[in-house]
Amino acid sequence: MANVRTVNPLLTGRRAPSDANAAADLPAPAAERHAPRQLTVTIVADIKRPQLTKLKHALEAMGADPANNATLPFAALPRTHFARLVVLDPAADEHGVPIEPHLVYMADVDEPQDADAALERCLEELADVAGAGLDQIFGACVGYPTPSRGSRARRLTFLRQHAVGTAAEYVNTVGRSVRQILQENQLRVAIEGFLQQRGDELRELSPGEVRSEIQYFVRGRAEPTWALSPPPSPGLGDRIKDCADLLALPVGLLALSPVLLPALPLVAFALRRDEKRDPDPRIAPTREHVLALAEIEDFGSQNQFSAVGFLKTGLLRRAIADVVTYGIDYAARHVFNHSNLAGVKTIHFARWVWIDDHRRLIFASNYDGSLESYNDDFVDKVWWGLNAVFSNGVGWPRTRWLFFDGAKAEQPFKDWLRRHQVPTQVWYSAYPHLTALNVENNARIRAGLAASDMSTKETEEWLRRM
Amino acid sequence: MATTDVNGALERDDIQGLLASGYGHLREARFLLLEIDDPTDAGTWLGRLAGELTTARAKSEGSAVNVALAPTGLAKLGLSPALGRFSDRFLDGMTVPHRSRALGDVGADAPEGWDWGGPTTAPIDLLLLLYAEDKGSLSKLEQRLLRAGGGLKLVQRLDTHWSDREHFGFRDGIAQPVIEGLRDAPPDDTIKAGEFVLGYRNEHGQLTDRPLVSRAADPEGVLPADPVSGDADLGRNGSYLVLRQLSQDVRAFWSFVDGATRDADGRSEPDARVRLAAQIVGRWPDGEPLVLAPQGPNHAPYPVNEFRYHDLDPDGLRCPLGAHIRRSHPRDMLDPDPGSDRSIALDKLHRLMRRGRTYGAPIVPEAALNGGGDEQRGLHFICLCANIARQFEFIQHTWLNNPKFNGLYDDADPLVGPAGRSLTVQAQPIRQRVTDIPSFVGLRGGGYFFLPGVQAVRYLASLPAVVAAA
Repeated sequence: MANVRTVNPLLTGRRAPSDANAAADLPAPAAERHAPRQLTVTIVADIKRPQLTKLKHALEAMGADPANNATLPFAALPRTHFARLVVLDPAADEHGVPIEPHLVYMADVDEPQDADAALERCLEELADVAGAGLDQIFGACVGYPTPSRGSRARRLTFLRQHAVGTAAEYVNTVGRSVRQILQENQLRVAIEGFLQQRGDELRELSPGEVRSEIQYFVRGRAEPTWALSPPPSPGLGDRIKDCADLLALPVGLLALSPVLLPALPLVAFALRRDEKRDPDPRIAPTREHVLALAEIEDFGSQNQFSAVGFLKTGLLRRAIADVVTYGIDYAARHVFNHSNLAGVKTIHFARWVWIDDHRRLIFASNYDGSLESYNDDFVDKVWWGLNAVFSNGVGWPRTRWLFFDGAKAEQPFKDWLRRHQVPTQVWYSAYPHLTALNVENNARIRAGLAASDMSTKETEEWLRRM
Repeated sequence: MATTDVNGALERDDIQGLLASGYGHLREARFLLLEIDDPTDAGTWLGRLAGELTTARAKSEGSAVNVALAPTGLAKLGLSPALGRFSDRFLDGMTVPHRSRALGDVGADAPEGWDWGGPTTAPIDLLLLLYAEDKGSLSKLEQRLLRAGGGLKLVQRLDTHWSDREHFGFRDGIAQPVIEGLRDAPPDDTIKAGEFVLGYRNEHGQLTDRPLVSRAADPEGVLPADPVSGDADLGRNGSYLVLRQLSQDVRAFWSFVDGATRDADGRSEPDARVRLAAQIVGRWPDGEPLVLAPQGPNHAPYPVNEFRYHDLDPDGLRCPLGAHIRRSHPRDMLDPDPGSDRSIALDKLHRLMRRGRTYGAPIVPEAALNGGGDEQRGLHFICLCANIARQFEFIQHTWLNNPKFNGLYDDADPLVGPAGRSLTVQAQPIRQRVTDIPSFVGLRGGGYFFLPGVQAVRYLASLPAVVAAA
């Protein structure tokens, strides 16, 4: 440390020398003019049964290198946060009616900036990046054009026809793009390198002076247009839509209250009767199933979770499930839209998707830590939310008045999740080394760099983020 | 056959004593890892042993004996694997690849290189834990219990060397949970019996899964009856025991902290060295927590364990956020409400009853710095819990080995984590960061065991005769 040149612009007025950078050069400025919304892409297609095993093997090979594999290199889709390909094995519903195996593609993508048809643009990009790779993946599916005739247009038509809407989605922080996340992490790494190199001198300074030094360092290194200014905010159109969306629910509820209020006690009574008749079985997952899942978990800071289950029969459960997923989606848009899902700060993205004519529900999420800690968060913190949606599914631990009990039964609940979880053959993350807490902390470092009028206390708090 | 009461008082006569006491008054201990050669003889031996087991009833005088079994041991005695619900983690074992990955048992710590308990070493069916006041009595106890004809083969003898300090020189075993109903303790450390003893309510107010057998499989009614299913309760008053032999490289530890704290001219700074070591642990060598004594030990009356973090040190300015004791037992620092009783309630779901003993002769830091410390020494880590996944494995994976713990980036546990990790020492105006920390602790062996209640031991002992008769 002693041989590091002392450079203190507060005292000397000199610019930081260019050889003082302690990390990689900072990237080009963010191209986004507005904070993009995040779009959930879901494609579901039936797999031809004879091709099921071969497809699984092909996907598992892809899964060994999700970012750069030759079939579908997800790294070439730079607006994609997370993506996965999941095979749902053949199943049978409660009447014994067989359900064909499905291939499910799911991606969490930043909307293109100026696109009216955001989904269409995302499908086009997928078709362009994967090209013939799509033939390898979806060629095993019913209705996919034969490879010789698999032109771009035909591939796109197939994707379009098999795109499925999302019942509910959770985004850790709405509007934060892949680009912003990666850039802000590079910014943090550069600042940390600067602190590591100049620590001995900086420790002699006041918090405000240290912050000035950091700002000076960043100005010398980065494109000031992004690192020293706040991230883009949502566009005017998006803000108007958000506002209208926020108001739509209370206005709608008010308008429908003459119908809803008298109906509510009846629904509650019917639900309670249904709950009391619930069989509440305790079924353990098989050891083989648990092993297959455990083998593809815990490779880094993040993990994936994919599960599928049947909705209970009857209109009542279907109606409740629809209302609750609508409610989750609304709350995720307007309440839990910044780094905190009712006390859980480890989920990046999650979604609920109806398939098979509303008979089955897919749940997929990207989270930090182990399945055990993820499950514990459910049991300890958001059991009520899980109960509201999943108690409409077959086999869920018995609930009381929709919200109570259920997931609080720790071990039956953990068994249920494992039993309904399915292996995720291909899983991609654009920033596998960052937890959601890291991403949020990076964003606050960047925001603090740009902020004006910071009090000493705020400055000290900001410096503690390094 | 008596029916159990999940809300009732602890059945101390049936609970093995290790759940109630670490037998600190018995300075000599030896852990014997055994293989069952002859199940019939082993059953007879185990039946006799049941009468000698130390229980939680009274303080053990002179010596103590406890016993635990691996899944292979249960199978050899004739327990049908289809019956009951043992912990998956217990049945899978510590050495399956996905557990090695989750526990951080990779590279030099991978089971393939273990001295015992690994995939290539002799199978271990049974763990016998012996305690006595002096070496002579301990040897006599071992000789008496392991007389020929027991149907057992000794695989490994784990000797211990009494100390209340672990080998890096820090007082250990201070923060211990106390089972509710066993004795009085501060509320933050009083934990529902079901977190450690199977068959009682846990911190969720529920029963942890435990092995049951059909009543037909227990015609003599040795086991108590589960009030819900009516099945015979094999798990009642039992627990799971985690054993890991952790080798400690004392020279590597003190050399690293010495090197990281030298002054500009390269001279050692003993005070700074001890300070950094204390920041790694979270306590001063005498056990005083940094959060109460940030400047240096106050030599307060030992033990000091009644404290929380959030009010005194929410940002880690007294004790680093990544220090060993802040992550193995975060107290009131857990989300979503740090500083609250709710946070403490979450912490209570991840507690361990630690019963480890050091092995190998101690060495003072100065001797290690002068080139000593080549001898084998370390800790036979033992802990008891009712739920291996939620307690032992969670702490190991989500707290100790997790470089992202507490919102950090690259800081796995500075004391026991893998090589290459960092320690961030929070400070004003900016943090210090110690990087490229080497590995100080290795893993030489390990296993998951079931520590049955005394009646369950009797039941298991009776199985070989039943199998033979059938």
